[in-house]
Amino acid sequence: MSAHAVSFSAVEKTYKRPGFLGASYTTAVKDLSFEIPAGEITGLLGLNGAGKTTIMKLLTGLIFPSAGKVKVFGHAPTEGAAKARVGFLPELPYFPPHLKPAEALAYYGRLSGLAGPALAQAVRAAMDRTGLEPHAGKRVSEFSKGMLQRLGLAQALLHDPDLLVLDEPVSGLDPLAIHDIRGLLAGLNAEGRAVFLSSHSISEVEKLCSRVLIMVKGRLAVVVKRAQWEAAPGGLETIFVEAVR
Amino acid sequence: MKSARVLLAVAGNSFYESVRHRFFLLFAVFAFTAIYASVLAGVMAVDQEARVLADFGLALMELTALAYALFTASSVLLREAETKTIYLVFSRPVPRWAYLGGKLAGALLTAALMLLVMGGMHLALLALRGFGAPACYGWAVLGSFLKLSVITSAAFFVSLFSTSAVSTMVISGVLWTAGHFVSEARFLADKAHGVSAAALKGAMLLIPNLQLFNARDAAGAACALPPAAFAAAAAWTLGACLAALWLLSRKEF
Repeated sequence: MSAHAVSFSAVEKTYKRPGFLGASYTTAVKDLSFEIPAGEITGLLGLNGAGKTTIMKLLTGLIFPSAGKVKVFGHAPTEGAAKARVGFLPELPYFPPHLKPAEALAYYGRLSGLAGPALAQAVRAAMDRTGLEPHAGKRVSEFSKGMLQRLGLAQALLHDPDLLVLDEPVSGLDPLAIHDIRGLLAGLNAEGRAVFLSSHSISEVEKLCSRVLIMVKGRLAVVVKRAQWEAAPGGLETIFVEAVR
Repeated sequence: MKSARVLLAVAGNSFYESVRHRFFLLFAVFAFTAIYASVLAGVMAVDQEARVLADFGLALMELTALAYALFTASSVLLREAETKTIYLVFSRPVPRWAYLGGKLAGALLTAALMLLVMGGMHLALLALRGFGAPACYGWAVLGSFLKLSVITSAAFFVSLFSTSAVSTMVISGVLWTAGHFVSEARFLADKAHGVSAAALKGAMLLIPNLQLFNARDAAGAACALPPAAFAAAAAWTLGACLAALWLLSRKEF
């Protein structure tokens, strides 16, 4: 098994937008190299437009790098072998409102290659894990934002991934939901899963992560370890503010 | 094997989503009204009532199913990208061909169900007027389905480079219309000279000949669709799917 869950090596991503008078190009990330160790929680901080979502999409194979290499457990992110080991929660996930949570999860479980009793077991386990079991009879349209986020996490957990990629997992949630999600992520990490999460909440990242990457205008500005921000006056927030200014 | 299961899952989900969609109900109401109107038109046709009833009803069935299939094919990828549902699909080990095949299969299954339901309604209305099933009825419905499979797969292809669902529907609708005038275009191409002849001949290569699937254009037993019609439908559908797959495999979300 690779010691690194993810490695980025001199990665660049430039978006092309076709226009009437010719295409325009925007570089979202440039000269990006870093690793995400297996079994650790790594955070990704940055201002809007810093390239956080681009990184998430690159490592889930939703977009392709313009230059450089991305590896997930030693494979290209577009390969099935990599995707089978990754669970992805996008920001504000959408589920058809008429479905019950188990129905939505069953569909995504099938897409992950599960079938029969293994699928039923995976759906039950994911619902149990994320605290959705008491809401099994409700439809998605009746769900609060926090419950939708739990459902999003449940679909990411269905196939028992080794790496969870979470884009703004606590965005817009109330304090109790944030507390619950934090506990859930800590528990998943305790089982040996790597977690890579982006957030605007420095305090959440500070509580959960052992390493933090700070992005500034598409470039990796700083990699900070827990010991560093715990020793720094003002903690992670001061390091972040200094990096982005 | 796993990819085939994924294809079936996407197809099943797509079919279920289509059937429970309100638009499906609207189209069903429209189809019933339109077929009933064809019965009224048939009454006015006096001695040609049976033929008018059959042809008008079949044409309305095909147009209704076409409208639904085009609406589905042109909006499904766009909608999944807008709602980010596609992130949850393509971040999994889902081959893009299985996703595309599943979406097409779901749309065609829905179109087939629509044709069956509308065919049942049409035959019931005919029986109400005292007529039996028209000659070649099954072949005509099958021909409509073959046309739908060609145009729906073409619409999926167009939706991957078109900027909106409306433009996809317009382009596919133009293709469907042009596909019914291929013999006329061929005649014009034979009569034309120079650049216009070359342009017409070139355009004909890109337009499927949908007249091949009009079973009731032929008289008597000849209305059975020839194997060449099935081969042509399969070739056009496969060609459009491969072109769509080529675009989808390069598409970023």
